[in-house]
Amino acid sequence: MLGEILHILAAAIISWILFVTVDILFRLPEAGGVSGASAVARDIEAGGGALAGGIMMGNIVCSPDASAGTLLAACGVYVAGIPGGLAAAVLVFIGNRICHDPGYAGTTGAVLATFVVYGFTQVGFAATDFIAGMVIAILTIQGLSHAHASRLLARLWRVRQ
Amino acid sequence: MIALYVVAAIAVFAAIRATVERNTGRKLPYVNVMNFAVAGALVLLLDHPLSLVAAAAYFVGSTLEANAIASTYAGGGRRE
Amino acid sequence: MNDLLAFLFAAVALIGAVSTYFQRDRFNKLIAVGITFGGIVPFIVDRGYLDVAIITSLIIPITTIIILLICRREIHDA
Repeated sequence: MLGEILHILAAAIISWILFVTVDILFRLPEAGGVSGASAVARDIEAGGGALAGGIMMGNIVCSPDASAGTLLAACGVYVAGIPGGLAAAVLVFIGNRICHDPGYAGTTGAVLATFVVYGFTQVGFAATDFIAGMVIAILTIQGLSHAHASRLLARLWRVRQ
Repeated sequence: MIALYVVAAIAVFAAIRATVERNTGRKLPYVNVMNFAVAGALVLLLDHPLSLVAAAAYFVGSTLEANAIASTYAGGGRRE
Repeated sequence: MNDLLAFLFAAVALIGAVSTYFQRDRFNKLIAVGITFGGIVPFIVDRGYLDVAIITSLIIPITTIIILLICRREIHDA
């Protein structure tokens, strides 16, 4: 019981680092890939947040990016192992094209997350820990405090620049 | 199976936060958290290969819905 | 699915339904309808009707987009 909770928290930290790194490497905070992202960014900035972080949060809302790729790859590894994760990457790629997003952040994140999740299932983690961990990770970015989360993402974006 | 309870509780929390928030642009990230939670719960509820397709279809569909609402909101805000 | 999980997902659907009633803005109303569907789809999957879940997940966004187009035209005319 307690061990499972600790596994979920560790998985949350791992998937948080994974998807924020992939998103920032693919320059998501730079510009709104779709027109809705800039509207979300404008409202987050009006609520006291930073613009670069708001654009990244708007991109996460409007198109399946690395966070969606990580979640669906964990789901794929849970139902079918490595082939399931790669099937999830294909589904994320189709989803990106449906949402008019030209980027490859979601597909790359899904492929990377497949191998990360599969590697951690070999050392005692369950794939379900990563599904719950990814939901906790997205909660910390999008669901607790938009002002603080966007300032944190903007600070990480300045470091990358 | 504690993961399923965590995911369901986060879905309820995100739905409450999305309802309480007044601003449309700040509502959408909370709805996005709920979509993540429900997509994860679909796979955890039923361990079957087609569950992955159902979760992906739900997630992509709800993302498309949020995308359409946000882009109409952006255009409508300028016109009004 | 046990009673606690059924309660939690039903809470999501009910929050969405009650919120739809109280929202005034049309975007907020559509978002609340989306929350309602998010609470309903776990019940469909729990019974094993995965094909029904897939097809409704694809149809609901299309209806939302059609409603958005109708809303936009109404404002344009008015």
